[in-house]
Amino acid sequence: MTPEFALYAVLGAPVLQALLVMLVPKPPGLRDLIHIGFSLLGAIAAAYLVSAVAHHETARIVLAQPLPNVDLAFTIDPLGAMMAAVLNGLGVLHAVHAAGVARAKQERAPARLLAFIALAMAGVTAVAFSANLFSLFVAYQALALAAFPLVAHRGDEEARPAARAFLATLLASSIGLFLPAMIWTYAIAGALDFRAGGMLAGRVDALTANILLVLYVMGIAMAAIPPMHRWLPASSNGPFPALVAIQALAVLPAGGIGVLKVVTFVFGPGMEEAALASQLLIVLVGIGMIVAALIALSKQDIRERLAYSCMAQSLAAVMGALLSLQPGPFAAAGLFAATLQILALACAAATLLMAAGTTAAITGRTTVADYAGLGRVMPWTFAGFAIASASMIGMPPFAGAWAKLWLITAAAGSGLVWAAGLAAAAAILTFTHLGPLAANALAARAPTDAFKRPDGASILLAAPVILAAAATLSLLVLADPLADYLSPIWTAGAGQ
Amino acid sequence: MNGAYLDLVRAHAPLLMIVAPLVGAALTLVSGLARLSWVVACIVGGVAAVIGIDFALAVFSAASPAIAEVGVALYVDGIGAFAGALMALTLTFVLVAAGATLKEAGASAAPFNVALLLCAAAGWIGALMARDLAAVFVAVETAWLAAVGLTAVNAVQARAPLNGALRMLSLGGVGAALMLLGIGLLGRAAGSFEIDALPLAHISMPSVAGAGAALVLLGLAVKAGVAPLHAWSAAALGRSSGVVSFGVGVLAVLGALSVMTRVSAYTITAPELGAAISAALAGLGAVSVIVGSVQAVGSTNLLRLAAYAGVSQAGCVLLSVALGSPAGFAAALMQLVAFAAAGLALYGGAAAGRVQALDRLDGYAQRAPLASAAITAGALSLMGAPLTIGFLGRWRLVEAGVGAGWWWAAGLVIIASLSGVFYGGRLIERMYFRRANAAYEGEGGVWRAALAPALLAAIVGIAIGVAPNALLRAAAAASQLLTGLAT
Repeated sequence: MTPEFALYAVLGAPVLQALLVMLVPKPPGLRDLIHIGFSLLGAIAAAYLVSAVAHHETARIVLAQPLPNVDLAFTIDPLGAMMAAVLNGLGVLHAVHAAGVARAKQERAPARLLAFIALAMAGVTAVAFSANLFSLFVAYQALALAAFPLVAHRGDEEARPAARAFLATLLASSIGLFLPAMIWTYAIAGALDFRAGGMLAGRVDALTANILLVLYVMGIAMAAIPPMHRWLPASSNGPFPALVAIQALAVLPAGGIGVLKVVTFVFGPGMEEAALASQLLIVLVGIGMIVAALIALSKQDIRERLAYSCMAQSLAAVMGALLSLQPGPFAAAGLFAATLQILALACAAATLLMAAGTTAAITGRTTVADYAGLGRVMPWTFAGFAIASASMIGMPPFAGAWAKLWLITAAAGSGLVWAAGLAAAAAILTFTHLGPLAANALAARAPTDAFKRPDGASILLAAPVILAAAATLSLLVLADPLADYLSPIWTAGAGQ
Repeated sequence: MNGAYLDLVRAHAPLLMIVAPLVGAALTLVSGLARLSWVVACIVGGVAAVIGIDFALAVFSAASPAIAEVGVALYVDGIGAFAGALMALTLTFVLVAAGATLKEAGASAAPFNVALLLCAAAGWIGALMARDLAAVFVAVETAWLAAVGLTAVNAVQARAPLNGALRMLSLGGVGAALMLLGIGLLGRAAGSFEIDALPLAHISMPSVAGAGAALVLLGLAVKAGVAPLHAWSAAALGRSSGVVSFGVGVLAVLGALSVMTRVSAYTITAPELGAAISAALAGLGAVSVIVGSVQAVGSTNLLRLAAYAGVSQAGCVLLSVALGSPAGFAAALMQLVAFAAAGLALYGGAAAGRVQALDRLDGYAQRAPLASAAITAGALSLMGAPLTIGFLGRWRLVEAGVGAGWWWAAGLVIIASLSGVFYGGRLIERMYFRRANAAYEGEGGVWRAALAPALLAAIVGIAIGVAPNALLRAAAAASQLLTGLAT
């Protein structure tokens, strides 16, 4: 297998998967087999690309040249390969879980649900491997369009307005803010190809750099930066498999990856000219983290609580990316913190949402108050829930702890101690809305009323939760190798 | 032997593009039968399209084709060749697509419908090839009256289309008067009525010439449905039959915009007139983008929505032309192609299921998946979604605008695209995520083939968006060829 072939495979497998799932909706066994099999294929291809990047191999594929000097192109780099590998790896677990939920809850139009989940995975993979701003923009729009049916899946009076809000927010911000920024960048740089060290480095004055940074960061609404976050609570109306795809594996991570790629390859780490806007955005993001965590605390529906909790975590990733624009030796720490935060968010959010999905499928419960004692009858599911909650909070030795540690280090090292304080406050508030919930589920007396499905969770519903929870422990041993692996990104930036 | 005939046809290609539809119109009237007249019209349209495309390819391959002089003062330039081929091709699509709805006003009206479509196309192509401004005027009015006739002939099921036809007649009459007055002033000031003389003419009275050019463009703007001069468009198209949607909503507007682009290209390159014409076109374009976008967002009728989206798109065309540079003209030509593709896809998808009110679109994807796909492609193109021709056209405008320091034009393009997200997203949401509330009323059997042009336009719109190089080269070559090829 060549890296080019693997790149085609990782981008094409989910699209083929979606087509086949739609073409073979019955029997359910074959449909689910196709769904899981192609997810596995995508994950293997992504893992191969991680290895290829580690061996300094390169690959670039051009799908079209829709504009002169601008390709629709995808390429491998450490950041994209790592993100794609983790997200597609979790995607396999999610494929298994989604098949289980679709059966247990007898979801309407399960083939359509699975197909659009696959397309959403294709979208986030394309975002990760995008070789230039145009390809990022196309992948972003495609992801928004692929995720829109997931929000509208139920087709009822609640789902339709939610889906409209979802699509309107994501597309309007990308066209209204991201597109002008892209055009402006093209006018300045004469090209849109990503460049290690930043394509704008040394080419823009402070005013332009600050305006462009605001346009890009606010234009990538998938990162859920206030006030562009309205799509995220709106997406809570989707079925649980859709929520996992939107909030854990595809849309929300795509926002983080997009901001990270823009900061790394468009501006370049330590870009002094954009320091003012980055500090203002850090204030916005820090306050947003705290407010999101507080709103999560006020929500009784588990889907809404997790949506706001995921928003707070995504904003932490954006904070890390913005910290990398601060001049000084800690720019790389900011990038590393953002990368770890996105990976930690994906692992923990996928675990939490799959656990909530399993709970809803088996017990029919979706309110926080009804979770008390469920851990006693669903120990595996709630063990995973507790581990993922600990990771979201930032408790060692789970993935979230390393991300928070690097985030606070980057903030303090850049002289922005208040940013470190905001991140710490958000972590404490995350504890308040997830910690007692997990503890109560495990420690309270088991409920006595009958469940919706008294036969309990099948292996399809329980195993993915616990495996995804185990992934949150991976950074305990992988943090250092990961830093080495990603170092070419910030090393190139430092050399500029 | 065949080669000699072929050479003869090629030598008379511009003339044949005008004459063939006119002869076809006469034949359809003689045939009398609805289906036979439609078949004849489709064949004639196809012939005109083949001739037009062959001619355009010859022009843009840098080999100057020999064009016979036959007494008619034709002046073929790059914009004329490009837009003429586009008009002929669009005519063929329109004729095929109109097949399913041709008899809505009764079988006896069908031959009139196709004859009027052919006459309108001949008129617009004639205006694109005419050398003399007076000839442009005659050709434009011929085309416009054919469009009015088409609207009136089909106004049998409701009064609204008849009202629309009256508005077209009255506003078009005002436009004609303005245009005629403008031609007189321009000809007097420039010392010639020949369009190719304008850029080089020594204009002794710049203010008179400027006023004349502005009046000519204003007259054309009425016919192109450019805001705020578009009072006829919603009335004529809002409750129209399929054949009117295609004939007026696509063919007439495309023709008027093409002629406007051509006339503007000559007046804007005249040193004494350039700045004033540029400002006027830019102002008109900006108003059209904003008004069209706002009205499209507020529409509850698919045909009105498409008409208003066309108004917004027309604004983008005018903004491109207003730049007055080859890059701007090329962007305008790309947007004309985008307009034609999106219009055919939207109106075709609507005509397939007799959809007018937006609520009739609920669950449309289940009842008519192909028609829904066509509407989706049209909507995405109007949004300016990447990898569609709509995006390409707007990108070229932004690129040319930014190059000229017109950042505000980029802002207007963003407004057009943002509004496209709202009205296009609404169409997609209704078609795919709502339950059907009405039975499918479209044609069945063989007449489903009439949906083919809409689908083909949708596919072409996406294919060009993915691989646009050939069209970009053609548009660039056309914009460079303002000097005529022959007289």
